[in-house]
Amino acid sequence: MRWTGRNLMSLGLMVITAWVVIAATKWPFSTALFPVIIGALVFFLATADFLLGWFEKGKTVEKPSGGERHSPEAAVEPLMGEVLLAFSWAVGFLLLILLLGFPIAVPLFVFVFLKFHGREGWRMSLGLTALAFAAFYGLFVRVCDIPFLEGWIQNGLRALGIG
Amino acid sequence: MFEAFIGGLLSVLQLKPFLLMLIGVVVGFWVGILPGIGGGPAMALMLPFIYKMTPQEAFPFLLGMHSVCASAGDITSVLFGIPGEGVSVAVILDGYAMSKKGEAGRALGAVLMSSLVGALVGAFCMTIAIPVVRPLVLAFGTPEMFMMIIVGLTCISSLSKQGKRGIMLGALAGGFGFLCSLVGQAPHAGIHRFTFHMIYLWKGLPLIPVVIGLYAVPEIIDLIIHKTAIAGDLPFVDLRKGVTEGIKDTFRHFWLTIRCSLIGTLVGVMPGLGGGIAQWVAYAHATQSAKTAEERSGFGKGDVRGIIGPGAASNSKEGGGLIPTIAFGIPTGPGMAILLGAFLLLGIVPGPDMLSKHLTLTFSMVWTIVIANILVVGGSLLCIGYLARLTMIRGTLIVPFLFILSFIGAFTANNQAADLIVTLLFGGLGYLMVRFGWPRPPFILGFILGNLAEEYLYISVFRYNVEWLFRPYVIILFFIAIGVALFPFFQERRLKMKEGKA
Repeated sequence: MRWTGRNLMSLGLMVITAWVVIAATKWPFSTALFPVIIGALVFFLATADFLLGWFEKGKTVEKPSGGERHSPEAAVEPLMGEVLLAFSWAVGFLLLILLLGFPIAVPLFVFVFLKFHGREGWRMSLGLTALAFAAFYGLFVRVCDIPFLEGWIQNGLRALGIG
Repeated sequence: MFEAFIGGLLSVLQLKPFLLMLIGVVVGFWVGILPGIGGGPAMALMLPFIYKMTPQEAFPFLLGMHSVCASAGDITSVLFGIPGEGVSVAVILDGYAMSKKGEAGRALGAVLMSSLVGALVGAFCMTIAIPVVRPLVLAFGTPEMFMMIIVGLTCISSLSKQGKRGIMLGALAGGFGFLCSLVGQAPHAGIHRFTFHMIYLWKGLPLIPVVIGLYAVPEIIDLIIHKTAIAGDLPFVDLRKGVTEGIKDTFRHFWLTIRCSLIGTLVGVMPGLGGGIAQWVAYAHATQSAKTAEERSGFGKGDVRGIIGPGAASNSKEGGGLIPTIAFGIPTGPGMAILLGAFLLLGIVPGPDMLSKHLTLTFSMVWTIVIANILVVGGSLLCIGYLARLTMIRGTLIVPFLFILSFIGAFTANNQAADLIVTLLFGGLGYLMVRFGWPRPPFILGFILGNLAEEYLYISVFRYNVEWLFRPYVIILFFIAIGVALFPFFQERRLKMKEGKA
C-alpha cells in the first residue's frame, strides 16, 4: 500500500466526480442526465484505478507510454524546485500581463527572461526584445487588430486622474 | 459532367478568381500558423469582402483560405507542440516528438505531403460520393452520432496508453474531459453548472486555452528546465535532408495515407463531428496498423505513421465536409456553416441545384481545394529547411517567444485575462498528467466532444426513450467500440502466442 502521484490523481478524480454527481442530483433531469451517467462511470473507474494502484506491488517508477512517452518527464526527472521555478516564469509573465498589459509585458518579459534566466549578453537580449516587440506590435496589434487589455496599473493611474 | 469538371478547373484558373484564391491561401496559411485563430473565424472575418464578388470569385477566395488552414496549423504542432489550429492536436504526439529527435524536417515533409494526398483524396471523394453518401447521412440520427463519439473516444482511450491499466487511464482521462466540458450554462434548462458565479464560465471553458495549456505549457516548462533546444542537444544538421525522407515516408505508407484520408472524408461527411475527431480516429487507426507491440510502443515517441495518419485526415475532411454542405445544405462544422452563409449571401441555394444547374461551380470548389493545397504544400516545402531550423535554436532564446505565442493564442479565445489563467491552470494539469502517465489525447477528445455527446444523448433519450439503444446502427457501433477496446488485448495475446511458438 503506497501513495503515488498517479494514485493521488485517481483519488482527486474520485472526489471531483462524487461532487459532480451530488451537485447534479439537484438539477432537472435534462441537465443532470449526462453529468450523472459520466460522473458515476468515471467515479467507479477512478475508484478501481485507485485500488489497483494502492495494492500494486513491484514497480515504483511510473513512465508514460504510447502517445505520451516522449514527453517532458521521459528524460531525467526534474527536481521539484526546477519545476516550480519554471512555472514561476509562466506565472510571472501572467502577472506582468495583468499588471502592465500585453504591450509592456511582452518586451519586459522577453528581456528579463533572456538576461536573467538565459544569461544572454546585452546585445542579444536587447535585439530579441526589439524583435519580439516588433513582431507583437506589427502582427497582433496592427494587422490582426486584437484588442489587448490595458494593465491594472494603467487603469489604476487613470482612475486616479494620472496619465 | 466531364464538361462541368473541366469548366470548374478553367473557372478557377481565370485571372481574377486565381488571384483571389492566392490571397485566400496566403491569409489561410498565416491564420493557420497563428495559434488560436482558426479557419472558421477567419472566414467569418472575410465574409464582408465577398459582397461584390461573383460566386466564381468568392468560393476560390473563401475555400482557398479555409482548406489550407489545417496544413499550416500542423506546422506549429510539429515544430513547437503548439497547435496552430484546434484540429491539429493529434499531430503533436509524434510530430513534436520527432522534432525533439532532430527530425523536424522529416516530420514536416511527411505531414505536408500526407496533407496534400488527403486533400486530393477528399476532393476526389467529393466528386464521386454525393449519391453514395446521401443514404448514410440520412440514416444517422442522434443515437448513432452519440455512438460515433463513444467509438472515437474508445479508440483513443485504448491506444494512447498501454498496459493493463492503460485503457482505464485512457477512459478516465476521456471521462474527465467530458466532465470539464460540462462547465457553463446547460443547453436545455439554462442552469449554470460549475461556473462558481463567474460570468466568464457561462459559455464553458474555451477550447484553445485548454489545448494550449495542456500541450504547449508542459513542453515550454520542459524547455526551461532542461535549457536545451527543442531538438535537444543534437548536433546542428541540415534538416532539409529529412524533408525528402518525410515525403518518401508518405508514399512508403501510401495505403495508410489513403485509408486515413478516407477516414477523414467519412468523418468529415458526418455533421457535427468536426476535424478533431477525424484526426484522432486516423491516429488511432495508424496506431493499430503497427504489427508488433514494440512497433506500437514507438507511437508517441516519433513514429512517422503517427503524423501521416492525422495529417491526411485533417485535410481530407474538408472535401468530405463539403458534400453534405453543398448537396443537402447541412454544414458539418463551424467553417462549413460560414461557407453556407456565403452561399446565401451570394444568392445560391445549396441542394440538388448544386448537382445540376451549378455543377461547374461545385467542381470549381473541388479544384480550389486541390490547387490551394498544392500551392501551400509546394511553398512550404521550399522553405521547410528554414522552418525546421527553429527546432535547433537553444531553448532559452525560443522560450519567451513560445510563451508569447501561447498566451496571445489563448487570449484570442475571448480576449479576456481569464483565458490566460485557464491556460496556466490546464498547463499545470497537463504537466501532472504527463508526469504521472495519464494520456492527454482522450482528455482533449472528451473535452471537445462533451457538449455534442450531451446534446446527442439528451435528444436520443427524449425522442426514443431507451429504444435508441436497440437501433441497428447503434448496436453495430457499440460492438465496434467493444472491439476497439479489446483489440490491443487480442493483439498482445496473439503476439505472445507467436513468440511462444517461435
